[in-house]
Amino acid sequence: MSHRAAAPQPRLKLTWKERVAIWRDSDLWLSFKASPVAIMSTAVTLLIVIAAIFADVLAPQDAFDPVALNLLDGFAHPMERGAGSNMLFVMGSDEQGRDIFSALFYGTRLSLLVGVASVIFSMVLGIGLGLLAGYLGGKIEMLIMRVADIQLSFPAILIALLIFGVARGLIPPQQYETTAVFVIIIAIGLSNWAQYARTVRASTLVERNKEYVQAARLMGISGFGIMARHVLPNVMGPVLVIATINLALAIIEEATLSFLGVGLPITQPSLGTLIRSGQKFLLSGEWWILFFPAMMLVILALAINLLGDWLRDALNPKLR
Amino acid sequence: MGQHIMSDAVISVRNLQVEFVTRRATLRAIDGVSFDIAKGEVLGVVGESGAGKSVTGAAIIGLIEPPGRISGGEILLNGRRIDNLPPDEMRKIRGRKVAMIFQDPLTSLNPLFRVGEQLIETIRTHLPMNERQARDRAIELLTEVGIPAPEKRIDGYPHEFSGGMRQRVVIALALCAEPDFIVADEPTTALDVSVQAQIISLIKKLGRERGMAVMLVTHDMGVIAETADRVAVMYAGRVAEIGPVRDVVQRPMHPYAKGLMGAIPTLEAATDRLVQIPGSMPRLSSIPRGCAFNPRCGEAFARCFVDQPVPLPVQGRHVACHLYETMEAVR
Amino acid sequence: MSPRPYVEVTDLRKVFDVSKPWLNRVIERSPKQFLKAVDGVSFDIKKGETFALVGESGSGKSTVAKMVVGLLGVSGGEVTIDGISMTDPAQRAQRARLRRKMQMIFQDPYASLNPRWRVDRIIAEPIRAFNVIEGEANIVARVGELLTLVGLHPDDGRKFPHEFSGGQRQRVAIARALASNADFIVCDEPTSALDVSVQAQILNLMRDLQEKFGLTYLFISHNLAVVRHMATRIGVMYLGRLVEVSDAKEMFSHPRHPYTRMLLDAVPDLAMSGRARIPVAGEIPNPINPPSGCTFHPRCPLANERCRAENPLPIKGVACHAVVEGRTLLIPVPA
Repeated sequence: MSHRAAAPQPRLKLTWKERVAIWRDSDLWLSFKASPVAIMSTAVTLLIVIAAIFADVLAPQDAFDPVALNLLDGFAHPMERGAGSNMLFVMGSDEQGRDIFSALFYGTRLSLLVGVASVIFSMVLGIGLGLLAGYLGGKIEMLIMRVADIQLSFPAILIALLIFGVARGLIPPQQYETTAVFVIIIAIGLSNWAQYARTVRASTLVERNKEYVQAARLMGISGFGIMARHVLPNVMGPVLVIATINLALAIIEEATLSFLGVGLPITQPSLGTLIRSGQKFLLSGEWWILFFPAMMLVILALAINLLGDWLRDALNPKLR
Repeated sequence: MGQHIMSDAVISVRNLQVEFVTRRATLRAIDGVSFDIAKGEVLGVVGESGAGKSVTGAAIIGLIEPPGRISGGEILLNGRRIDNLPPDEMRKIRGRKVAMIFQDPLTSLNPLFRVGEQLIETIRTHLPMNERQARDRAIELLTEVGIPAPEKRIDGYPHEFSGGMRQRVVIALALCAEPDFIVADEPTTALDVSVQAQIISLIKKLGRERGMAVMLVTHDMGVIAETADRVAVMYAGRVAEIGPVRDVVQRPMHPYAKGLMGAIPTLEAATDRLVQIPGSMPRLSSIPRGCAFNPRCGEAFARCFVDQPVPLPVQGRHVACHLYETMEAVR
Repeated sequence: MSPRPYVEVTDLRKVFDVSKPWLNRVIERSPKQFLKAVDGVSFDIKKGETFALVGESGSGKSTVAKMVVGLLGVSGGEVTIDGISMTDPAQRAQRARLRRKMQMIFQDPYASLNPRWRVDRIIAEPIRAFNVIEGEANIVARVGELLTLVGLHPDDGRKFPHEFSGGQRQRVAIARALASNADFIVCDEPTSALDVSVQAQILNLMRDLQEKFGLTYLFISHNLAVVRHMATRIGVMYLGRLVEVSDAKEMFSHPRHPYTRMLLDAVPDLAMSGRARIPVAGEIPNPINPPSGCTFHPRCPLANERCRAENPLPIKGVACHAVVEGRTLLIPVPA
């Protein structure tokens, strides 16, 4: 039997105007408009994301190119001009004359990259396994859910450390730097899939028994087709909420790993790496090297978390 | 409101309005509903989903929660206004003077407590009785609602009762404080036909014997025909027709009531086609101007699209329809 | 010679394992528990007729419907549709062809349509799945035609299910059932979630479509009045067994089984004719532990020793010892 796998084309294409009109009348938009917290946190998140993406253009200094640094600029206080280059250091500089303000652009970019990529990784893995468990049931479900249970009974950071350690053992030392980003994405991703799998399985169990799925079965549509085209779109709501909140968690997790020295190397600094290199100056009075990256991490995580909270409430029909 | 006020009315609802404030707009769920229920009388309130029948019941018993609010009219219990009471005082009246029976008996009983404990607690909250007296009273009540071997069953948990027996317990619970007025909201909808018949006759019997006023909210015209003395047919938050049950059920006058009666398949008359009212009940956000029924009405004329009709007396009942206004004026 | 019935159901059985989890059973030393949801049901449906199954909750009528279309495996017995067995594993290939001629309309119009799909995609799904029509333009035209057929506008295809009322959704579900040119439609309580005025629209529509396309319906309902309006023949189910099968007219004028009689008497008297009725007694027993013999005996006014001991087999459409033996109550029968 050869039913077309591709989604049918929409009959009459909606114009942009119509799409905007539909969106402006949706509950999500109305609830967004009514929530100052949602508007604020979206604005902050967007600002940070744009700053991170265009770090090369926006940052005053190419902070991780040794050629761009001037050692004479070292330990400039915030709002002080460097002794070497006479450049203004808004947030001060570190021992190598690196502009902390510029370093934040690059650090945030890597933190976001690792966060987003690991969330996508764990989402794909978790949704896939959750769908499989919920739809097929039986032994496969037992196996997947027990593994998830076991994993959830360990702290995520421990699992990430473990995976990181295993990866270190497998990869030759001269490739540490080039593979570090991938290793950390996989480590964080693997430590977070279980939550998605649980949620998706629970929603799949509900959707599977709904009559539209039975109708599809009567048409002889395969189990895979039903999962992909019918069940998946209907279980995505809660997944998106978890993904948003997990993004903040993943960023913090990455920072923790980097802070512990098992994350990204100093040549590819994330916010966590910056915090780690800053903490050794804290007691000698150069507080700004630690303070600004730490504040950045807090603001980013808080904004994303508030956004996730709002999304959860907005998608919850009981609170409408 | 053109309706005569009965002197022996237990409950009087006068021009009741209930609104719900949503993000988009303020929706009027109930718009000018008036009726009386006398001692010992069963008023059936019938309508399709969205007609506002349950909201009316909740408003009377003071259970409208924000974003909903009573925005107009008044509700009188034994001649005293109760719609503007502070929540504390309303709570005292609820249970003592007015009680409610819900659709799903499972949600009205606490699964963790024995049936007897729940009955005794309710009785002692409202009446000055000791444990012993309250227990005897509870057994009496269970007997009255037709539970076999009540001395034994009183110590059972709700899950040990069948659906019909559970609904009987809920009714006993509502009777604990000997209320003057009971709202029964779809009390038989969750039950099987054969059990439904038993519960209907129980409610009817209790109303008669105890002289309570009963407001029976249901979508099932058959239940109304069996139980009610008078019936109010609601549509889009308004009363379309209200009058003695025999008149309204057998010779409905409002075009909506006529359509509704014709749409019900019966055991008695085998027809090839059922009467069908085109379209469906408007959403609260788009109730048409004038008579709310005008887009679905075969007899609508110019005035129906402008003026909202009010219930006026016609042939022993009240009908909110412009068709009958001229008729009555001639008479 | 009468033609072979379109649908033949023979001695259909379904047993559900309702045991507690393994660990609980071991700890509590309780045996496995089984629920006989359907227990030896046989009937047949002629082409173009409406056969109704009525019963209260737990009677097994929906389970029968699901087994007939193959959504649920059988524990015993056989279902044959248009000469093709739904239960014989050897006839898999033939069954695949049969599928497009057999569709289902469900009870809850809010759950039977995928909320994320536009209505035109929902209706086109069976057309694409069964390759009924080739070419996108032809499918679009067919979907518009189907929408018109069920009383909607072709432009309604662009909307999502939540933009429709319950009745309109049920119309969409009917359009989907017709999309693959099905001629046998199983309707599982199709109007019990709808308001009466909307129910009338849907019942009228279903009758019109039956006339137009010669459809065969298996109609599941708990509402006797609806069944009376729709069915040509009726089967009454009680606790998984079929207690009476007869022509619709006959069933309502001369109910034979005491349970059928009780059901009829339980229906509210809308005409307020004041017809004499026996008051209904008792409730449906727990189907996990059904009564011995005839499962209706604890509620039956005619029950005797034999009824308590021996399960009556259907004889001329009635499974009742009292009817066979001629024991009757003198009760007036509704005219």
